[in-house]
Amino acid sequence: MLKSRIAAAIAGALLWVGGAMAQETIRIGANLPMSGPNAELGEIFSRAASIAVNHINADKMLSKKLELVIEDSQATPQGGVVAMNKLVSVAKVPYVLSAYTAVSKAIAPIGDRAKVVSINGGAVGPDLAELGDYFWNVIPLVNFEAEVLIPFVVKEKGLKNIVLIFVDDPLGEAVQKVLRAEVPKAGGTPAGELQVQRSTQQFASIAAKVRELKPDAVYIASFGTQENQIIKQLRDNGITQQLMSYSAMSTPSIATLPEAKGGWYTVQSADFTASALGQRVAKEYKELSGKDANAYVANYYNAVMVFGILAQQLEKAGKPITGANLLEQRRASPTFELVGGKMTFQANGTVAAPVQIREVDGTGAGKLVK
Amino acid sequence: MATYIINLAILIGINAILAVTLNFILGYAGIFSLAHAIFFGIGAYTAAVAAMKFGADFAAATAAGMLVSGVISLALALPALRVRGEYFVAASLGLQMLALTVFSEWKSVTGGIGGLIGIPPPRLFGFDVSDPVLFLALTLACLGVILIAIRALVRSSFGRSLKAIRDDETAASALGKNVALLKTLAVMVSSSFAAVAGSLFAFFLSFINVESFVLEVSVQVIAMVIIGGTGTLLGPVIGAAIVLLLPALLTYLPYLPPTEIGSIQQMIYGLAMVLLMIFRPSGLWGYGSSQDRKRAAP
Repeated sequence: MLKSRIAAAIAGALLWVGGAMAQETIRIGANLPMSGPNAELGEIFSRAASIAVNHINADKMLSKKLELVIEDSQATPQGGVVAMNKLVSVAKVPYVLSAYTAVSKAIAPIGDRAKVVSINGGAVGPDLAELGDYFWNVIPLVNFEAEVLIPFVVKEKGLKNIVLIFVDDPLGEAVQKVLRAEVPKAGGTPAGELQVQRSTQQFASIAAKVRELKPDAVYIASFGTQENQIIKQLRDNGITQQLMSYSAMSTPSIATLPEAKGGWYTVQSADFTASALGQRVAKEYKELSGKDANAYVANYYNAVMVFGILAQQLEKAGKPITGANLLEQRRASPTFELVGGKMTFQANGTVAAPVQIREVDGTGAGKLVK
Repeated sequence: MATYIINLAILIGINAILAVTLNFILGYAGIFSLAHAIFFGIGAYTAAVAAMKFGADFAAATAAGMLVSGVISLALALPALRVRGEYFVAASLGLQMLALTVFSEWKSVTGGIGGLIGIPPPRLFGFDVSDPVLFLALTLACLGVILIAIRALVRSSFGRSLKAIRDDETAASALGKNVALLKTLAVMVSSSFAAVAGSLFAFFLSFINVESFVLEVSVQVIAMVIIGGTGTLLGPVIGAAIVLLLPALLTYLPYLPPTEIGSIQQMIYGLAMVLLMIFRPSGLWGYGSSQDRKRAAP
């Protein structure tokens, strides 16, 4: 009786081990904010990435099943480092999705040492272009966005005098640099630069200064609640001029803000209706979350698809899927057909991707302007 | 797996140094500071700048951090001389906010919000100690030295005077203790040692920015001290290990969706604190009751 039980246990264990071996997978990581005040964004990013993983598996792009291992960065450098170390050392992934500038900067040296690719699809700070060969960005950085909007506003719309309200951080400074160069180049005049601290939430004095400067348009380079408050308080204080910004204006809380209506913003082209792939992603995201897909959904979907395409090419060439080989393959074939159109990686790991100009119309998705 | 555990152990060691040094003023001198993350930050920024701009090795960079932190701690010690209890908490909160603004705005030194990237790998007396095992050994050595130093200080007449101030400042003063000087020295010692954690953190991450030294970090260090046990030598080390291991262990629960980990973690923290206050008011390593404390007292 005992012997038969032992035999059954051994057989069961062998079956379990055999099953586990048969289910061997290719793993990639996601180091995203899954708790705390930024968990909402982490949820959007991880859902979009999961859809891409499902598509890669359904289309049998790879020889084994692809698995996404999600770790919580808590949107802090320390949390991001703990999560990255786990993904690199325990899950042994060759490719990690990242978000948030400080987290990205903290994990980049780990990825560089371990030759593991980190790819950002959420942060737009220009300093993310300088984090080494193994740090890639699948989202156009803010300086690229601003370069697209200024010629449209000055040349096509004839709004010559531009005032900039910018947050005192690398993002704001990058936009300041672009506007100083691009506004005169387009034939306009920088009418003033108003700097705000990151923690400031009262902008009545800024509105007063804008009124004094009498610009044709106001460019706002901030993010999150602050961007929201600047727009609201400018309108509350009687500023009627054209407002404009970068992709921060596409976040749902601003895109549906009545005071933001009419504002122009740039955003990575994420026209889900333009291709069958985009429609498929948008439909599944809506089913999964009950919400419309936005640019972040496209970015994190694309980030995983970049891995899928590169890994497929490596498998065809008979090469192992490692971070070093992914980097080599990306350099060899830097252009990808993804949601939103064709995307090409530059040598420094940033992307040149189509950028749209949209207008806030209160619906959330915005109206395509150009 | 080993590398992950080693890296986690390094972070536990760094946070343990922070908790032990905060406990020195909180547990032994009764000075409740909400600005401990600032001295952590001063140590980190000073060490990073020393290494990046002057090529300082770990020892020199850490010594510089300790010196700067010790001097700046006078800004915290000064209100400590004039106010006590909840008034000091408010004063330390003010310092936390002030220093955080300096970290964000002094761009030529701190890199502003963007922070400092590319801190060179740590070297100690000419040897590269960036290997995770060596860096863990370095972290544990620093923790060990600080624990020994604090144990010696607590057992000296200085430590007994601090405990006297903690228990009854007026009585200590009436007995001829120089309360102002003792408090100032206690804050200086604590802040200087906290800078060691900052230096280790900067070299470990190769990147620092203001987000690592915010008020939440100060509060988390206080939680480590309270969970482990205030006024005990090893309690804060245990507290640091628990606070950092708990989220790491929760991620191994296979049926727990990643989106729920954060809220479950917060619920467990909250519940643990309530249960601790009911059943172990002196923390996990602290004395079970006031009778035990009296019995253990020299």
